[in-house]
Amino acid sequence: MSSWPTETKYISHSTPRIDAPAKLTGKARYSSDIQADGWLYGMILRSKWPSAKILSVNLEKARQIPGIKAAVTVKDFPQTIRYYGEEIAAVAGATKAACLDALRVIEIKAEVRHEFVVNEDEARKDNSAQVWDGTTNASAPRVHEQGSVDTAFPECAAVIEGFYTTPVQLHHAMETSGSTTSWTDEGLTSWASTQGISSVRDGLAGALQLDHSKVRVITEYMGGGFGAKFGAGVEGVLAAKLSKEAKAPVRLMLTRFDQALAVGNRPSSFQKIKMGATADGTLHAFEAENYGTAGIGAGGDAGGGGGGADIPMPYLYKVPNTRVKQSMVAVNAGSARAFRAPGNPPASFGMESAMDDLAVKLGMDPLEFRLKNDPNPIRQREYKMGAEKFDWKQKYQKPGSSPGVLKTGIGCAAAAWPAGGASKSTQGEARINPDGGIEFRLGVQDIGTGTRTVIAVVAAEMLGLKPEQITVRVGDTNFPPGPGSGGSTTCASISPTVYDVCTQALRQLQTQSGLADARGENWFAACKKLGVNPLVVHGQWQPGLSDSHACGVQFAEVEVDTETGLVTVKKILGVHDCGLIINKITLESQINGGIIMGMGYALYEERVMDDLSGVVLNPNFETYKLPGIADVPEIEVVLINMPERGVIGIGEPSTVPTAGAIANAVANAIGARVSSLPITPAKILAALGKVPPFVNA
Amino acid sequence: MKAFRYATAHSTDSARELVAGTGAYLAGGNDLLGLLKDYLINAPEILVNIKSLPGLNKIERGDKFWTVGSLVTVAQIENHAEIKMVFPGLHEAASEVASQQIRNVATVGGNLAQHSRCWYFRHRDTVCLKKTGDLCYARNGENRYHSLFTGNTCISPVVSSLATIFTSLGATAIVLREGKETRMSMAELYHRAWENPLAHNSLNNGDLILRVEIPTTRGRSAYLQVSDKHAFDWALVSCAAAAEVRDGKLKSPRVALGSISPVPHQVEAANDFLDGKVLDDAAATHAADMILQDAQPLKHNAYKVPLAHALIRRTLLKLNGDA
Amino acid sequence: MKEPEPENFGAFSRRKFFKSLGTVAATAATAQVQSVAAELEKANAEQVVGPGAVAVTLKVNGEKLKLALEPRVTLLDALRNYSSLTGAKEGCDRATCGACTVLLGDAPVYACQKLAIESQGVEITTVEGLAKNKKLTKVQQAFLDKDALMCGYCTPGFLMSVTALLKINPRPNAADVKRACAGNICRCGTHPRILQAALKAAGVETASKTEVVNYV
Repeated sequence: MSSWPTETKYISHSTPRIDAPAKLTGKARYSSDIQADGWLYGMILRSKWPSAKILSVNLEKARQIPGIKAAVTVKDFPQTIRYYGEEIAAVAGATKAACLDALRVIEIKAEVRHEFVVNEDEARKDNSAQVWDGTTNASAPRVHEQGSVDTAFPECAAVIEGFYTTPVQLHHAMETSGSTTSWTDEGLTSWASTQGISSVRDGLAGALQLDHSKVRVITEYMGGGFGAKFGAGVEGVLAAKLSKEAKAPVRLMLTRFDQALAVGNRPSSFQKIKMGATADGTLHAFEAENYGTAGIGAGGDAGGGGGGADIPMPYLYKVPNTRVKQSMVAVNAGSARAFRAPGNPPASFGMESAMDDLAVKLGMDPLEFRLKNDPNPIRQREYKMGAEKFDWKQKYQKPGSSPGVLKTGIGCAAAAWPAGGASKSTQGEARINPDGGIEFRLGVQDIGTGTRTVIAVVAAEMLGLKPEQITVRVGDTNFPPGPGSGGSTTCASISPTVYDVCTQALRQLQTQSGLADARGENWFAACKKLGVNPLVVHGQWQPGLSDSHACGVQFAEVEVDTETGLVTVKKILGVHDCGLIINKITLESQINGGIIMGMGYALYEERVMDDLSGVVLNPNFETYKLPGIADVPEIEVVLINMPERGVIGIGEPSTVPTAGAIANAVANAIGARVSSLPITPAKILAALGKVPPFVNA
Repeated sequence: MKAFRYATAHSTDSARELVAGTGAYLAGGNDLLGLLKDYLINAPEILVNIKSLPGLNKIERGDKFWTVGSLVTVAQIENHAEIKMVFPGLHEAASEVASQQIRNVATVGGNLAQHSRCWYFRHRDTVCLKKTGDLCYARNGENRYHSLFTGNTCISPVVSSLATIFTSLGATAIVLREGKETRMSMAELYHRAWENPLAHNSLNNGDLILRVEIPTTRGRSAYLQVSDKHAFDWALVSCAAAAEVRDGKLKSPRVALGSISPVPHQVEAANDFLDGKVLDDAAATHAADMILQDAQPLKHNAYKVPLAHALIRRTLLKLNGDA
Repeated sequence: MKEPEPENFGAFSRRKFFKSLGTVAATAATAQVQSVAAELEKANAEQVVGPGAVAVTLKVNGEKLKLALEPRVTLLDALRNYSSLTGAKEGCDRATCGACTVLLGDAPVYACQKLAIESQGVEITTVEGLAKNKKLTKVQQAFLDKDALMCGYCTPGFLMSVTALLKINPRPNAADVKRACAGNICRCGTHPRILQAALKAAGVETASKTEVVNYV
């Protein structure tokens, strides 16, 4: 049975990111940097109407713009448009300017519909415009019951009711979606900005009716995904079609504007929660109703894929009597897609806010209340560890009791990432040269998480070499298949695979060379015995080296200016179980990143739709606000090392509890609950009763 | 952007001739290029680079007033050691503008003349009043960032931080209009936006801001703003105060608010009330009440009232010196 | 790939030139010659070019890039799409994210909101121009040591902002670094380490607050 070494030189230590020099010098070529010979610029024309029937599209004038080499439409006509920004046509040309000019002269004949709805509450009304003809916007509610909620509530010593809401959140990776795509006699090559080269290959092959063997996807470097970049996307297929027509490579990257409209989002949530506990602080009854929107991909038609609006409730707490009713509501907006821990950040926010509210009503310390009710022993330990490090007992005060205008408060929240685990079909190979050089090839992606470095670290450890001696190549469908980079499964998929490749390599080297142990100082001698031929070794994922299920708790300290409403996060402490830590320094970066993304969710991010025009009002970074360096607090991290569990994942658990912890800290500071994200100065002032009521003159 | 011709002007006469009604001046370019990229204004046929116009990029000290050329960058103001001492509020306002990358190229003239940031105006597919449409989408729509005061049907507020502080300092803009220098107070510079929904300010096509004269009468000044984020975020409300302080009493005080009205918002009666008063919390509070008295909050921006109130008090009390 | 349209190349405003010549005709001979030369120089400097492609020379990382660009081409577009300098990235094209930050002289600016044609005559530095002879600069090395990058897409922009900061302020404090980097966005969340890296490059060592605890 495979097992990780207990004494390690590299595993669980810190090796600098091996692709850092390429990224730091500008040598790294991302999908949007590829300059294939004779490449053309591609651009998409999108619908400016939220609801319409496109009858015909005339591309003639566009084709005549100097420099334009191809123009295609997306679908057959009539085409039903269901959201502002839906793709209609695309062009490819010698310059960006030519494409811009061409888009402006594409002629569209359309029946514009004035019935559309972009607001969840409006969409739920009986007289609302229908997003999908013939079906209600709201799906039939799914009800899940346990025990007897109706008799349980009267038995409670304290009951709270709240309405906790979260907005639609946008992935907004720094590199937009898209690809540089090119045809040769052998087929199609797509340098895609993707988290899943295999899913892109599959999508392109299907859409273009090509054999899989004729499609190659390459992702050497990509600028972030967070869940939005699986599959070829409309833009991937368009790039291929344009490239075919133009007989030249086409680079089609979405603009930042496009990103806010059409390539996925995290669904919103509207959680009505009623929760009660017995006098000793045991959760006893939980009733909740939640609705949210996944854009057009919800409601009567389940289309949209990968990002339904329902969330796990009552999240990670076990309550004996529950009734949970959830439905999704369709609106005329872009479809949701998986976004870092789908369903969990809103679930954690709602549940943890309710927990604090109930703790306050019971007169209990919210941390004690959690220790009493959280069933998981690892999280119990994490809370206790974190509380001590955070000085919880000393810092905790009754809500709103901090003196002065600048009020401080603390809060906590938990995460459970039930999925994770590994992709068992992961494979890898290594080419070992007689001069001792070794190159690993895995068809996995490094989306910024440090995947390449993990491979180098594991290989170095297993082979007794240094990480800088390991050449790592990833991101090519010509390589043995790897997992899509998602679900916090990548490290747990590739580490055992590299382990196996190394095991096979050593076995074969030892056999061929006659040396009993080919590792470390014997490596070069063993390799020399290969003669002139390289040794190519194949391996695959092995059980027993990885696990699933990751937990974590986070603590937040905030300062709220009760006159201006400005929220400043002073400190966040994350306590996360990490299984076997493969590479400490890149792991910490992942946790930092998750926390900062969670902070954005808590305080700044919100996709705003305009009811009257149906457009996305903030398709930019000006008014869709991301945390900046001036907003980021001191972040402290405790990594719970559990090597006996093997490799688990961290990408998602690290972003789940942050908003809940911050929201609780705010409530603790000001003595009032802001139950709607993002927590803006406007909402703080309203919660403090300082905002004059609006009088409709 | 649509295609345009391009030239660099070396005199204000040639600049005006080259622009000739169908062109636009290119200074820092932050606002202009953004407008062109989203097709928000009539596409200029020519862009005239005015950064080489002589004499417009100087900061000149004087006994009675200082002169800041319209091509002086916001970064130059921020880094000017003497301005920090003489007009601390101006230093503070300049420091808060956008990001350093923008401050390095943004000019005083451009900052004053910048177009509305209303997200309906800035959206390529909502044809609002300012774009000759017949509807203000914000009025009954998403108006969290919009005005508490307005004189017409457009509720987009002025967002120039420099306009706010210049208002409180009693500064004057000197504008070249059809070959002649015209003096405009900040109120006059924005008055047209108060009256006319199509206007962002009172400048005509071809007008060129040459410089701003800042009187030295008010030895103390301060500026504060609050945004959702801690940096690189438009102010929800900004406030500037300036006054002379003699024997502990305010002389010629002025308080102005930004981001809540198409013009920098001042209430004469509040300035008069503060004149001759000892600056304490009670006086500051009363002034704030007066300044916000006639506010007409919209559905989503009423939070700006208490926020502005707090900023007025804090900015005024800053005039008492660093506490 | 991008050829200028010959008939639009260097379009020149003849009307302007002759008009200004006419106003100095009445003066004395030598003065007239000088004035004509001055007027000619001024007229050349004020020549109207475009809208088609024009010769534009950019001095980037110590080398001259001779390009033919329409006036509407931004500096970022010129670097990424008309040369091989793809180090500066396009994150938003609206001067809000900083991924395109380059140095114009010593000043960090957003290349996406500058026209290439107005960026002539000044030294431009991109991320490719930092490391000399494959040796990372102090700032780059600090980013590497502190793991101040993840996907790396925002990294060139941050490198330029921090490099520019240290040039004018070799001993910045945390607040200085935050001001210098406020105009750069990172979605992966590398900010805490960028702060550490910038301070390290300035000679101030800070430690990550991370503890590894064994679960027993």
